[in-house]
Amino acid sequence: MQFDAEAQRALDTAASLGAQYADARFGESRDEHIEVRNGLVSAISDSDSAGFSVRALVDGAWGFASSATVTNEEIDRVAKLAVDIARASAKVKGQGISLLPVGSFTDTYKTPFEIDPASVTLNDRVSHLLAAEREVSAVKGITVGRAWMDIWRTKKSFASTDGSRIEQELLQCGSALHALAVGESDVQDRMFPGTGGLYQTGGYEIIKKANLLENARRIGEEAVALLTAEQCPSGTMDLILSGDQVSLQIHESIGHALELDRVLGWEANFSGTSFATLDKLGTFRYGSEHVNVVCDMTCPLALATYKYDDEGTPAKSVYLIRDGKLVGYMAGRDTAQVAGVEPGGCVRAEYWGRLPMIRIGNVNLEPGSVPFENLFDDVKQGIYMESNRSWSIDDKRLNFQFGCQIGYEIKDGKKGKILKNPTYAGMTPTFWRSCDAIGNAASWVPWGTPNCGKGEPLQTARSCQGAAPTRFRGVEVGVGYEH
Amino acid sequence: MSINAMLDRGELEAIVNQALQSSKADETEVLISAGDESLTRYTHNFIHESVSERNCHLNVRAVIGKKTGVASTNKLDAAGISDVVQRAFDIARLSTEDKNFPGLPGPSEGVVDLPDAFDADTATAAPEVRASSVLEITKVMRLHNLYAAGYVATRHDCVGVANSKGVKRFFESSDSAINIKAIGSNSSGYAEGFARAFGELDAAVLAERAAKKAIDSKDPVALDPGKYTVVLEPPAVREFLGYLSWIGFGAQPFEEGSSFMSGRIGQKIVGDNVTIRDDFAHPLGDGIPFDFEGVPRQKVGLIENGIARSVVYDSYYAAKLGHANTGHALPAPNPDGPMPLNVVLDPGAREQQDIIKDIKHGVLVSRTWYIRLVDQKKTIITGMTRDGVFLIERGHITRGLKNMRFNESIIDALGRCEVAAMPVRSENLVVPAVRIDDFHFSSGTEF
Repeated sequence: MQFDAEAQRALDTAASLGAQYADARFGESRDEHIEVRNGLVSAISDSDSAGFSVRALVDGAWGFASSATVTNEEIDRVAKLAVDIARASAKVKGQGISLLPVGSFTDTYKTPFEIDPASVTLNDRVSHLLAAEREVSAVKGITVGRAWMDIWRTKKSFASTDGSRIEQELLQCGSALHALAVGESDVQDRMFPGTGGLYQTGGYEIIKKANLLENARRIGEEAVALLTAEQCPSGTMDLILSGDQVSLQIHESIGHALELDRVLGWEANFSGTSFATLDKLGTFRYGSEHVNVVCDMTCPLALATYKYDDEGTPAKSVYLIRDGKLVGYMAGRDTAQVAGVEPGGCVRAEYWGRLPMIRIGNVNLEPGSVPFENLFDDVKQGIYMESNRSWSIDDKRLNFQFGCQIGYEIKDGKKGKILKNPTYAGMTPTFWRSCDAIGNAASWVPWGTPNCGKGEPLQTARSCQGAAPTRFRGVEVGVGYEH
Repeated sequence: MSINAMLDRGELEAIVNQALQSSKADETEVLISAGDESLTRYTHNFIHESVSERNCHLNVRAVIGKKTGVASTNKLDAAGISDVVQRAFDIARLSTEDKNFPGLPGPSEGVVDLPDAFDADTATAAPEVRASSVLEITKVMRLHNLYAAGYVATRHDCVGVANSKGVKRFFESSDSAINIKAIGSNSSGYAEGFARAFGELDAAVLAERAAKKAIDSKDPVALDPGKYTVVLEPPAVREFLGYLSWIGFGAQPFEEGSSFMSGRIGQKIVGDNVTIRDDFAHPLGDGIPFDFEGVPRQKVGLIENGIARSVVYDSYYAAKLGHANTGHALPAPNPDGPMPLNVVLDPGAREQQDIIKDIKHGVLVSRTWYIRLVDQKKTIITGMTRDGVFLIERGHITRGLKNMRFNESIIDALGRCEVAAMPVRSENLVVPAVRIDDFHFSSGTEF
C-alpha cells in the first residue's frame, strides 16, 4: 500500500503512547471545476489537496488530528496529538466509546469508468458547456444562462491497528445547466438534469449522458414561461413528484433521520436529532407498504459507492425501511455498538483532514411497478412537481416544507398547465404513509447530492438517493405565500 | 518549514514569492491561507469528538491577456509550488477571453490595522483547555438535571495575498467559539459565544443561559399558526441577515436584477429605524482588513435608515458597472460575485427586555433552523424555530412553546420592526435582537 511505512509509523506511535485502537488515513484529491455564464468562462479551477490523519481511541474517548505535511516528524506530532486529544476527552467521557469488530482487510478498489476525463481536453470540456449554455441563453427572456461540470478524483489509503490495509481510488463526475429568468417583480429558474445536475460515480460518460444541449432550449423556455404562469394553488391535493424531487425528499426525511449518530444525539446542537428513536426499530410504520428503502453502498453509478468506508468497514446493502416498517439505521463501529445494529460501511470524511462520521450513503427508494405516465391515471385533481428549489425540515426531521422549480396541474388524469412556485408541506411519517404508487425501474435514477452538510467542523459529503417519480395522496400544497 | 508550529509569516511570504517569481503569466495573483483549527464536540455531557487540523492552501490565479485560470494546492514544496503555478498558466492559456476582465488590482493604501485580531493563547490552546470548558458546561448541566450538546473551538489563521503588480498583504488572527444546547426531557435552550480571544468567553455563564432557557421552556404547548409579534434573538437575526447578504447585497445579483436592491438604490425598502452595513473593523467582529484580491476592505452602508444605498463590489464588478471597488472579492475563481462578510445591524435604543415589556401577546425566538429561500425577489424564507421558543403575555415570558415553522419576507419584516440595543457577535455578523410585528407562523411540529 502506498504510505504503508508512514501509516505503520503513525499507528505504532499512537499505540506506544497508549491508544487501544488507532487508524491512519492518507488521502489525495484532485477537483476540477468548469463553469460558464452568459457566453463566458466564469470559472476554471484545478485544485489538489493531500495529507493524512490519525484517529486514536484512548480510555474510551476519541482523539483526531490531521496535517498536510507528510514527514516522520509530523507523523509523530500528529499521532501524539491525537492521543493527547483523546486523553483530554477521556476526562469527560461518559460511558466510554467502544468499537464493534468488523474484521481486517487487505484490499484495493477503483471506481469503474468508461471514459477517462483526462482524455478529454479542456477545450472540449469548455465547448461542451458553452454549447449548452448558448442554447439556454438564446431563449428570449433569459437573463442568465449557466452550465458547469465537476470531476473529482480521490485516492485513499487506510490502515488500522486491527490490521487493515485498504487502498481505493474513486472517480465522480457531474454536470448541470441553469436558466434564470428575471421579470419585473419575479425571478424564476430551471435547472437540469434534476435539482442540481447529474452527479454519479464514473468517468466523463456521466457528463456526456446528462444531455445538457438536448434539453437546454426546453429549460430556458420553461424558466421564461414560469414568469407569467399561474401561482400554484393552495389546498390539500394529490401530489406526484419527479424522481429527482423524491430523491431530495428521501435525503431529508429518511436519510438524515436514519443516521444513527443523529438518533443517539451526537449531532444534537447542529444538524439535529431524529424522531426515529431506537424504540421504534422493527415496529414503527414509517411509510406505506409500497415504501422500501435500502442503503446500498455497492450500488453501481451511485455517488457514494466504494468498497470500504473510512473506518475500514466493507460497503454493504442494508434495508432501512421494509414494506413501510423501520428496520435499520446507517451506523458506524462506535454507534452500532450502542444500538445493537450492524455497521453498513457508511462512515466517511469529506477529505483526509476531517474526522470520519456517519454520512447518508446511497439511500434508495426501490422502484415500483407503475410506468411514469400511469401515475397520473388515478388523479382527479392534483399537482405534478418537478425539481427542487427550496427545502426545509425541523431538527428532528418531522415538519418539512419543500418548494419545486415547476409544477403542472393534474386534472382527471391529465397533466395540464404550468404552475409557478409550487410548494408542499407535511410531517414525515404521515407523508410517506400517503405514498400509494412508485414509478417503475425504467424511470428510476440514482440521483446524486454532491453537497450535503453535517458535522462540526462542517463537512460536505456526496450522497445518492435513487428514486423514481412517486405519487402521494392528500398533501398540503401551495404553502409559503399565504402571508 | 516549521513542524511544531504553524507556518509563520516569513515562511508563507517565501512560498508566495516563489510562486510569483516562477509564473510566466502576464499577471499573477497568489493567495495563501494557513490554519490550525481545533474543535471539541460534546453531547449527553461527554466529549464524543475532538479534532485538530493543520493545513495550508496556495491559490494561484494566472492572467494571460483577458483570460484567467486558477489552480490550488496544499503541496508547498518547490515541486508543488511550481506545479500549481504551471497548472494555473495552462488553464489560462486554454480559457476564453472575458472582455470585462479589468486585470488584477494594483497596490493601494488604506489597509486598516486590526491590532486585537490575534491572541496567542487562543492560537495555541491545548486540547485540555477546550476539555476544561466542556467540563464546566457539563457541571452546570448536572446541577440542573439537564444534558448539553455543543462544541468549544479555537483556531489560528494566517492569510496572505500578493500579485505581480505589487500588492502584498498579510494578516494573522485567532478566533474561538462556544456553542451550547441544553436539553431537558421535553425542552431545550441555546447559548453561543464568539471572540477572537478565548479568555473573553465564559463557558459557565453561557451554560447557565442555555440551561435557563431549557428549564423555562419545559412542558411546551402548541401555539396555533398565525401572525404574531415576535422577538428574534441575535442567532435568529443573524440567519435572516445572512440570507440578505447572499441573495442581494452583492453586485452580481444586483446587476442581474434578481436582488431586492436592484433598481431601488435611493429608495426606502425597509423601516427607517433599520441601518445595515458591512464593517470589517467592528470591534466585536472577525473581519479581515483586505479582500481576497488584496484590496483594502471598505466599510459600506448597505441600507441606511431604511434606504437602499449600495451593494458591495470587487474589481471585476467595479470595472463592469463603473463603481468604486469596495474590496469585497471572494477567492478566485468566483462565479458568484462579491459578497459582504461582516454585516452589522446597527442597534436601536431599547434593550431586549424593555421591548418585551411592551408586548401583550407574542413569541420570543432564541434560534432558527434550516432556513431556505422560497422566493428570491420577495425575499420570502421558510424555516423552523429551535432551542427555546417562549410565549410572551402582557410583557412577560410565561411559558415554553413547541417549535413552529415560519414563512416570512425578510424585507417586509424589516419594515415593521424595532431593533434592540446591545448587539453581539453571532458567527461573522454583529446583530442585536429584533422585534417584528405580524410575523407569520404557518405550522407547528411535535416538540
